[in-house]
Amino acid sequence: MAVTPSSLNQLIEALRVLPGVGPKSATRMAYHLLQRDQGGAVNLAHALEYAIATLKHCRHCNTFTEAEVCDICADEQRDHSKLCVVEMPTDLMMVEQTLAFHGLYFVLMGRLSPLDGIGPKDIALERLLTRASDGEVQEVVLATNFTVEGEATAHYLSEMLRARGLSVSRIARGLPVGGELEHVDPGTLAQALVERRHL
Amino acid sequence: MAVAKKPRRKALADTPRVDAQPALVLHQQPYRETSRLLDVFSRDHGRVAIVARGAQRPGSQARAVLLGFQPLLLSWFGAGELKTLHAAEWQGGIAQLAGLPLLCGFYLNELLQRLLPRDAPNPPLFAAYFEAIQALSLLPREPGAEVEPILRRFELALLSSLGYAPDWRITAEGQAVQPRQRYGFEPGSGLTPSGTRAGCPGEALLALAAGSLEPQWLLQVKPLMRQMIASLIGANPLHTRQLLIDLQRL
Ligand SMILES: [Zn+2]
Repeated sequence: MAVTPSSLNQLIEALRVLPGVGPKSATRMAYHLLQRDQGGAVNLAHALEYAIATLKHCRHCNTFTEAEVCDICADEQRDHSKLCVVEMPTDLMMVEQTLAFHGLYFVLMGRLSPLDGIGPKDIALERLLTRASDGEVQEVVLATNFTVEGEATAHYLSEMLRARGLSVSRIARGLPVGGELEHVDPGTLAQALVERRHL
Repeated sequence: MAVAKKPRRKALADTPRVDAQPALVLHQQPYRETSRLLDVFSRDHGRVAIVARGAQRPGSQARAVLLGFQPLLLSWFGAGELKTLHAAEWQGGIAQLAGLPLLCGFYLNELLQRLLPRDAPNPPLFAAYFEAIQALSLLPREPGAEVEPILRRFELALLSSLGYAPDWRITAEGQAVQPRQRYGFEPGSGLTPSGTRAGCPGEALLALAAGSLEPQWLLQVKPLMRQMIASLIGANPLHTRQLLIDLQRL
């Protein structure tokens, strides 16, 4: 066994908190930062520290922001009657990129995952309920993932919100845009048939 | 290089392989850098832990196939506890679960994860699970009591295939179950006469013993099933049951 200095070991261990980063990648990253890009490493350390110190959750939508209220929530031009619920801030960014939604968001920062023991108390459901009951929201659009966990979350949310008299919708799924039946995976095609709509 | 390769080839040829095995994914999670770890229930090999290499990569085609509650044909290899996925083929025939039936599906999966040991083949239980998922997929998103017989039938299959089901005709004290008496379950001993209204009517137990799984009897054994399962599960309650309770309270 080669002897690795403890500070290097510590860095490798620290890098492993990143999703999908195992010991091999962490070691590669650590050596890269130390050998090739010490300036970048210092920047990374500062950026991390600064982000941790300044970022908080938006009071309205729960996404990361430096202010009390994020830019989207603070935008008066947006449609305040529609609220799109997503699992993570990255999902919010994806929906924003479509330019197809002009309402506001709520970020759960997770999903229900019964088999991992993640229940209603472990995600921001209470805050969503308060947010959606502000009197302005007319429709809640559920844009959780189409995984079994995302679907379970959507079901729970719809029951919870409809019990409060809110109108709830779910984003559609089916063939990809430009998708040809010949090349699509059979599971997607089967579900597109199950969820076909009348014209 | 060529010298080093030969023994490796031979080792691969000796590795146990399973081809096109009917299976369903009970649970999956990210594993290592780009893979997913699957907890699979297969027909002839029981519960197996399988790594799907590369399935965590963005744009991986495997994730569109490795769906929970969907019949698959899986091929894998490996001698150790952790197998490696070789191929996954989507079988179809069961619509994806949604709504309450989906949460019930999670309940079945949690029961299997908690009670069915790994690498213990159990084809009758696989058949019961398959039937239950199929039945759940045919229900509307917000079914009423129709889920209950499906869950009871599966619980019964689970308990009896794992050897936990008692003789429904005889009490812990060795007395014959009476149709008009109510019964509870005492962990470690068996059926005991119960004074409370919550007990299960003897006539339902006798119907089960005679092999009748009609909804009218299945609906009556719910409290008894709950007691039996609770005694097997131990101190750690089922997450899915709590979720169903939370949902009821909304
Ligand atoms: Zn916001």
